Amino acid sequence: METMSRDVAAMSGYGASSAAAGPTMHQWSPYVMNSGTVMAICGKDFAVIAGDTRMSVGYQIQSRNVGKLLKVTDKAVLGTGGHCQADTLNLQKLLRARMVQYEHQNGKTPKTSAVAQLVSQMLYGRRFFPLLTKNIVAGLDEDGVGCVYTFDVVGCLERVRVACDGSAEELIQPVLDNLLERQHQQDKPKPPPLHVDLSREDVVNIVKDAFTSAGERDITTGDHVDIWVIDASGVHQEKFDLKYD
Amino acid sequence: MMDLAFLDAPFTPACAGTDEPDGHALDALDAARPAMLGPQRALMPNLSEVQEHLKIVHGTTTLAFKYKSGVVVAVDSRASAGAYIASQNVKKVIEINQFLLGTMAGGAADCQYWQRYLGMRCRLFELNHKERISVAAASKLFQNILCGYRGYGLSIGTMVAGWDHKGPGLYYLDSEGARIEGNLFSVGSGSLFAYGILDSNYKYDMEFADAIELGRRAIYHATHNDAYSGGTVRVYHIDGKGWRRISEDDATVLHYQYNPGKK
Amino acid sequence: MSTASIAQALNEQRGGFDFELAKRNAALEGAGMKVPRATKTGTTIVGMVYKDGVVLGADTRSTQGPTVADKNCQKIHYIADNIWCCGAGTAADTEFTTALISSKVELHRMATGKQPRLVTALTMLKRLLFRYQGHVGAALILGGVDCNGPALYQVYPHGSTDYLPYVTMGSGSVNAMAIFESEYKDGLTQEEAMKLVHKAVLSGIFNDLGSGSNVDLCVITREGHTLHRGYDQPNPRRFRYPGGFTYTNGTTPTLSSSFTPSRTPAAVVGGAGMEVDA
Repeated sequence: METMSRDVAAMSGYGASSAAAGPTMHQWSPYVMNSGTVMAICGKDFAVIAGDTRMSVGYQIQSRNVGKLLKVTDKAVLGTGGHCQADTLNLQKLLRARMVQYEHQNGKTPKTSAVAQLVSQMLYGRRFFPLLTKNIVAGLDEDGVGCVYTFDVVGCLERVRVACDGSAEELIQPVLDNLLERQHQQDKPKPPPLHVDLSREDVVNIVKDAFTSAGERDITTGDHVDIWVIDASGVHQEKFDLKYD
Repeated sequence: MMDLAFLDAPFTPACAGTDEPDGHALDALDAARPAMLGPQRALMPNLSEVQEHLKIVHGTTTLAFKYKSGVVVAVDSRASAGAYIASQNVKKVIEINQFLLGTMAGGAADCQYWQRYLGMRCRLFELNHKERISVAAASKLFQNILCGYRGYGLSIGTMVAGWDHKGPGLYYLDSEGARIEGNLFSVGSGSLFAYGILDSNYKYDMEFADAIELGRRAIYHATHNDAYSGGTVRVYHIDGKGWRRISEDDATVLHYQYNPGKK
Repeated sequence: MSTASIAQALNEQRGGFDFELAKRNAALEGAGMKVPRATKTGTTIVGMVYKDGVVLGADTRSTQGPTVADKNCQKIHYIADNIWCCGAGTAADTEFTTALISSKVELHRMATGKQPRLVTALTMLKRLLFRYQGHVGAALILGGVDCNGPALYQVYPHGSTDYLPYVTMGSGSVNAMAIFESEYKDGLTQEEAMKLVHKAVLSGIFNDLGSGSNVDLCVITREGHTLHRGYDQPNPRRFRYPGGFTYTNGTTPTLSSSFTPSRTPAAVVGGAGMEVDA
C-alpha cells in the first residue's frame, strides 16, 4: 500500500522530493469565493431579478461593478450569486453559445422553462467538478406569467415564486418567505400558485429594502444593485445604490 | 464561423458495457471523469469547499407500498443543507411517465437528473418495442446507470413505483447499486418514524381510502418527529389508469387535524 | 473542605483565566465539534502624533466571519485621562485587556500621586500579552501625552511594541497606511492631523470589508482629551420600504395563554423589623 501511493506521488510529479519523509498528498483547490447575492420575485405578468455588483476575495474588494445578471432571451434572465466568478463567466459564455445554437437549430428562441432546463443540465454536467455558482432564472413563461427557477450547485431545479441565492441568502430568504409566501401569517391569504400577488412597484421596493438590509449586515454585499424587470415589452434595467463600506 | 463542435462531444458511459446513447450531453462530466482514475487522482479538485452546497435535500421522508388495488406513494417536501432549510416545497415525487413514479432521497440533483433521463429511456423503449416498459425493466435500467457510477459519489435512495402488465410494481434502488422488489419501503432520515406507523397498520387487503390515509399519516408522523422532514405531505396513487395526485397538505395543518385538542 | 472547593477557593483568589475546560474542549474539537467563533473587530485603527498631541482614529464595525456583528462599536478605549488605546483583533480581548490595564494604571496613579506615563501602561500591556503568547488576541495602538510630551506606541498580540510617529493596525491597516505614507508630515497642526487621521480611517472603511460604518476620533493634548464619537458618519442607511411593514394583532394565532403573577416578597410575621437607621 505504501509503495503504491509513493508511486502515485512520483508519477504525478508531486511529492517526489519528499519521498524519504513519506508521500505527500497534494490537492488542487480550484475554487475561490467571490460572494455576492441575487434574488428574484415573479408577479402576474412580470418578474424582477436583482443582483449586487460587488466582487470580493476575503476582505478585499476586487470590483464594485461586476454585474451578476445575464439577459439570455427577451423573456429570460440568468442571475448568478454566491459564486466563483470564473465559473460564472464560464457558465454565461457556454449558455450564450447554446442559445445561438438553439436558435439556429430550431428557428426560435427557447421558452424560459427550456432555458431553465438547459441550465440545469449544464450544471449537472459538472456533477463531479461543480461550477461553484448559485443560479436563478427569472422571466415570463409561455402564458406571459412571471416565473422564477432556482438551482442548487449541481442543477436541482425548482419553480418558485420568490428566490434568493448567495452570501446573503440566509438574511433575505426568511423575510421573503414571511412577506410574500405569508409563512407564519396565518390570518393572511396565501399567494396564488405560480406568482406573488403584489404590484410591480411593491416588489421592486421589497427588493431594494432587502438588498439595503443585507448590505447592512453582510460585508460581501454592497456597492450597487442591478434590478431588472422583465415584462411583455422586454427587460427594463435599473441601477440602485448601496453602501460602499 | 465560430466552431461550436466541442458542444457536441459525445457522451461516453462511465463503465464499459452500459448502453447509453451517443450525443447525451454530459460532456463536461466526461471530461472530469478520467481524472478520477490512476495517478492523476492527485489532480482531482478539493471538493470540501463546496461539500456544504452539495448536501442539499439530505433529510427526507419518502414511502411507498403496494396493496390490493394499487400503489401508494407519499413524501414530505423539505430540503435542508445542514441546519438551513433550503426549500419547503420540493417535489420529491418525480413523474417519470404516466405509469411510473420515482421518489427522491439523497442528492436532489442526482435524483432529478437521472430520473428525467430514465423517463427519456423509458420513452425510447416504448418507441422501439411498441409497448409500455414494465416497472421491473425500468428499475433495471436505472440500476444499470447507478452501478455504472458506483463509487463516484452519487447519493440516491429512491423507490420506483408503477403499474404494468403484472399489476402494481415497486422497487427500492440506491446509489450503492441495490435493487430490491418489495411491498413496502420507506427511505430517508424520517423513515424509521414512518415505518413505525406503516408496520403497525399496513394490510395488503385494505381499502383505497385507508391506504391513502396510512401513507399520509405515516409521513405526517415523520415530519413531526424528524427535524429534517417537513413542509407539505404529498400523496400519490397508482393503479391501472396510471398515477394520480391525491392530496397535498401542509404538515402543520395536518398536525392540528390529527390532534384536535392540542395546544 | 473538599478538594474541589479548595481548588475553587484558590482559583477565586488568584483571578485570571480559568483553563478548567480546555482539555475537554480540545477533545470535542478533535471529535469534530464546530467551535463557536469569537467576535473579531476586523478593523481599521490608526494613530498619529502631531505638534501638540496625539490623534487616534478607528472605524466602528465588528464582524463574525462575513457578518457584521456590531455596526457602531467603540474601538478607542480609555486607559487614563491622558492615555487612550485603540484595539483590533478579538473584541473581548481588546476590551478586557485595556480595562484591566486601565484599572492597574489608576491604582498606580493613586499610589504614586502622579500622572500616569505611557511607558507604564505600555510595559503592563506587553508583559500581559507576552505571558499569553499571542492567545490573547489584542493588537493595540497606545497613544497619549505625559510628562515627556506626546507619544504613540504600537503593540502586537505577542507582546512586541514599536514607538512610531504614525501607526495603523487591523485588517484595514494597509489601506490606512497608504494614506499616511503619502501625506504624513512632521509638525502638523491639530486640524491637519485630525483631517489626515479621518482620511486614513475612511480609506479603511471603504476599501477593507472588515472595516465599516463610522469614524471615531480621540484627540489627546497636554490640556486633556476629546473623544469624538461618531466624528463622521458616511454610511447611513439609504432606503426603507415606503410605509414599512406592519403586522396586525393575531397574525400569529395564540394557541393558549396563561398568567403567572410575579412573586410577592414573603411578609415577616411577628417580631420587630430589623432596625436599619438606629
